[in-house]
Amino acid sequence: MDNTESKLRVRGARSKGVSRRDALALIGAAGAAAVASPALGQASRVNLSFWTFENPQQRPWLHKRVRQYMEKNPNVNVEFQWFTFADLGKKISVGYATGTAPDGFVSQDWLMPTWQAKGLIAPLDIQKLGYNSYKDFSDDFPEAFLAGATKDGKVYGFPTWFYGFLNYLNTKHFASVGLDPERDAPLSWEKFGEVAKKLTIKEGNRFVRQGFKFAMHAPQWTMVQFNPILVGAGGSWFDASGKCTINNAAGVKAMKLRASIAKEYGAEDPAESIATNPLPQMDWLKERASMFWCHPIPPPAIQSQNTAMASEHYYRPVQYAGIDGKPGISTTYGFNLVINARAPAEKQAALHDLYKFIMSDAEDCWNDTQPFPIARKSGWTNNPKVQSFPQIAEILKARDQGVFLPRTPVYNELADAVHRAVQRVMLNGADIQATLNEAAAEVDRATANARG
Amino acid sequence: MTTIPSDEVAASRWQLTGWKRTLGLVLLLAFTIAFIIPILWMLTMSFQAGDKMFQLGTEWIPSVWHPENYPNALSRAAFPNYFLNSGVVSLVVMAGNLVFCTLAGYGLAKFRFPGDSIVLLLILSTLMLPLEVTLVPTFLIIHNFGWMNTYQGLVGPLLIDAFGVFLMRQSMLSIPNDYIEAARIDGAGEIRILLQIILPQCIPALAVLAIISFRDSWDQFLWPLTVVSSDTYRTFPLGLVQFGEDYGNPPSEQLAIAVLATIPVFLLFLVFQRSINRGFGLSGLK
Amino acid sequence: MTMQAVSGPARVEGSEVAAAIPSGFSRRIRRWGLIFVAPTLLFLAIFKYGPMLWAIGLSFTSYDMVSQPQYIGLQNYRLLLENPVFRETLINTFVYVGASTAFMTMAGLGLALAINTRVPGARHCMTAIFLTNLMPIIAVCLVWRLLLHPYGLVNQLLAPLGVGRVDWLTNEATAMPAIVFVTVWRFAPYFMVVFLAALLALPDDYFEAAELDGAGVFRRFWHITLPLLMPTVFFVVVVSALLSARIFLMPFIMTGGGPGNATRVLSMLIYETGFSYMKMGQAAAISVVLFAIMLVFTTLQMRLFMRREQVYS
Repeated sequence: MDNTESKLRVRGARSKGVSRRDALALIGAAGAAAVASPALGQASRVNLSFWTFENPQQRPWLHKRVRQYMEKNPNVNVEFQWFTFADLGKKISVGYATGTAPDGFVSQDWLMPTWQAKGLIAPLDIQKLGYNSYKDFSDDFPEAFLAGATKDGKVYGFPTWFYGFLNYLNTKHFASVGLDPERDAPLSWEKFGEVAKKLTIKEGNRFVRQGFKFAMHAPQWTMVQFNPILVGAGGSWFDASGKCTINNAAGVKAMKLRASIAKEYGAEDPAESIATNPLPQMDWLKERASMFWCHPIPPPAIQSQNTAMASEHYYRPVQYAGIDGKPGISTTYGFNLVINARAPAEKQAALHDLYKFIMSDAEDCWNDTQPFPIARKSGWTNNPKVQSFPQIAEILKARDQGVFLPRTPVYNELADAVHRAVQRVMLNGADIQATLNEAAAEVDRATANARG
Repeated sequence: MTTIPSDEVAASRWQLTGWKRTLGLVLLLAFTIAFIIPILWMLTMSFQAGDKMFQLGTEWIPSVWHPENYPNALSRAAFPNYFLNSGVVSLVVMAGNLVFCTLAGYGLAKFRFPGDSIVLLLILSTLMLPLEVTLVPTFLIIHNFGWMNTYQGLVGPLLIDAFGVFLMRQSMLSIPNDYIEAARIDGAGEIRILLQIILPQCIPALAVLAIISFRDSWDQFLWPLTVVSSDTYRTFPLGLVQFGEDYGNPPSEQLAIAVLATIPVFLLFLVFQRSINRGFGLSGLK
Repeated sequence: MTMQAVSGPARVEGSEVAAAIPSGFSRRIRRWGLIFVAPTLLFLAIFKYGPMLWAIGLSFTSYDMVSQPQYIGLQNYRLLLENPVFRETLINTFVYVGASTAFMTMAGLGLALAINTRVPGARHCMTAIFLTNLMPIIAVCLVWRLLLHPYGLVNQLLAPLGVGRVDWLTNEATAMPAIVFVTVWRFAPYFMVVFLAALLALPDDYFEAAELDGAGVFRRFWHITLPLLMPTVFFVVVVSALLSARIFLMPFIMTGGGPGNATRVLSMLIYETGFSYMKMGQAAAISVVLFAIMLVFTTLQMRLFMRREQVYS
């Protein structure tokens, strides 16, 4: 799944022959319908608009399922549009503001509080989705995910994928410096730093190979990477009263740990990654970095960049390093199928049916989008195809044990503030406590003015 | 301002002699090459593999050519469509500027009417109201017109630029009024006067306005970013920015697109170069 | 037909036409003047004045676009003043505009003087340099971002001079200078052309007299050329200031406003506040501030120029 976000980048449909023609035709035909006032269409025919984010595996699969649904239900027409991962949330916000929001869309789970706070998404009827009771539903999904999809006992999102980040190791590099990728996989921070240092190769002040690399180019990645360190160090984003607490002792400790890879162990080059084209995995794929924290990486992605690594399979994901002797925590996030609260009743009903159909074939989903696991616990992990995927246990463990990103209506402001703080610390050597104080103050200001 | 010097006088005045001349030539040449290095670099890198970009040295003549960067780059996203959109928008904006700025410039240069100095001030003061300042309300206006994701929406706010009015007015001020008066007394209509007497004398200024308005519209990023969310109407700067976000798009392909994007403006300039030079007032430079 | 007048001050001139023509005729002519100007006025009312007034109105509200705007008085402005990010951005904008304007003007003049020495091939050099002004801005930003990379061409070329690795875009000390540099690189050629046209139009008499008096090159420049170029200098300063005040792409593409807030400018902040945080009211307030800055600056410049004009005429 393509996680590369840069702030405010715009993107859209990837032209791939047939699908583009479809998209254009659908957009043309249904464009007017999407914008026009609802509930005035013909009785039997339902026109839906559905938006999602671009990802080389996930988006085509969703599109395929939607098309299959339309074949089975010829009276339903779905206009399928997609945007970059970074842009989807903004496009939807603007869509709501301008009355052009889609009837249904995929919501990144950290944005759920934003839609919920403004009453923009409708509560789902879980029975229409195939669950008999709320308990049945909640038993079937990880706790972390539920916290985002549900509120006050109502379900607002039907989960699709949900995954945790892992530490991807280049096993060839490990071997080359005399480390065993299994025994020496760094599961504690101290070891993490040392292993990274060992793996680093420098020529003068130029890094030929970084032992470990943080992605520095976009706020979303900064959040994803800092989140597990913060929580693992015993800190939290907000306290019970809603005040931002990244500048408390635990937060400072977390930032120090984050900075240590570059500053103490000399294994990372923060300035180098920020100024180039942002595809954070690229350095790891091109073997300019030996370790990298990433979502589950699909084999085709590795194949497209590094055929040797793909064919010889000299990589493996392991869990994050733990702090103070505790097991490592990964960061998790996922995606919900949601329904626009302003869509008329018959569209909402049709969307329930569509969503149920989309998620009804977990095996097909795995076939197309592995190794991105879906959030659902039941009915698919025992499948031999799933079990035979390399290191599937690690991937599922990351999903089940991870912590979710902070859920707050001022997520964007929070991400920007943390991103700036990390830049200051890593690039300008700023004092960590002072920088975090500033960032926390910024977030508190944004929270206070959430209506502004 | 009195006379414009003849070429001979000017040349003899400024001409450096002997070693100073050679030195001047060498320095100027060296500086020029240094100045245009980024373009040369862009050109040569667009034909090389992406990995070559941050090596210890730069190969100015590629040892391995990768012309496939160009068709590859174009296929990464709907770039031919993006270029088409940019082209349509830029041509329409250029045409709009040529028409309306000329009209307004003429009206302000050669006509006296109550409030004309206020009108001039009003128009010129919009130079302080660029899109970057009026972004949010302009967006709301375009949305209210229903012009989101349309050509009209893309073109709308760019159609007339006060700078063009200023340009045309300045150039028309120096047209002698006798021609106009004579034509009026002969009974020629105002439109005819404009088309047959004024315009032919403004060709250089028109050329300058054309290239500048085309280029500014071709460059536009913030406005299309705001008003377009559908791939059908995306312009190439948006496409170029999103370029690096997929798996495996080497930066050299991004440069290939950049090269392709540079060509139309260069061509337009080179085709109208003589008029443009005159329009800028550079015909005295040999 | 030259554009020497492009450097002239924007003074309104009365038309001599009206004087010689009977009054009925002139009223008809006057009407045409209005007709010609009308479409532009209408357009500007819709797309410039309307939005500016709306922005001023919006700046007194809290508006997230999902619900109706709520009147909140001056709170947006108060919040801006209390916000360190805004303060830093404001300072950055001043620094950026000041530096860019100064260097663009000087570079443009310098380049024009160099071309004006009329060495053989000068004209072609001018064309080559001017062509860089036509390169799409997005391409300029992308190319320079790559050139200024720690391992990029700029550092490669500086290495033999003993300059170590400089992280141009990620070090807060060099980020803003780097952005200013790229801005100047991109826009100076246009001003080179403007200055060149002005230089070419300078009358000979002054120079002949000065040469006869034995004045050296530098004194000729300082005491004759420069004063004669004042109108052009004024024009260039105003235009380059207005230009750099609105620049969005350079910092956006090259540094994203970073590191930290080192290169964030007001135009970026407007976009982020409005379209990333969905705070349209506050974005409008920032727009008003930017407009005010441009207005104050232009007015000051005109004042300065008027006074200068008086001194020299």
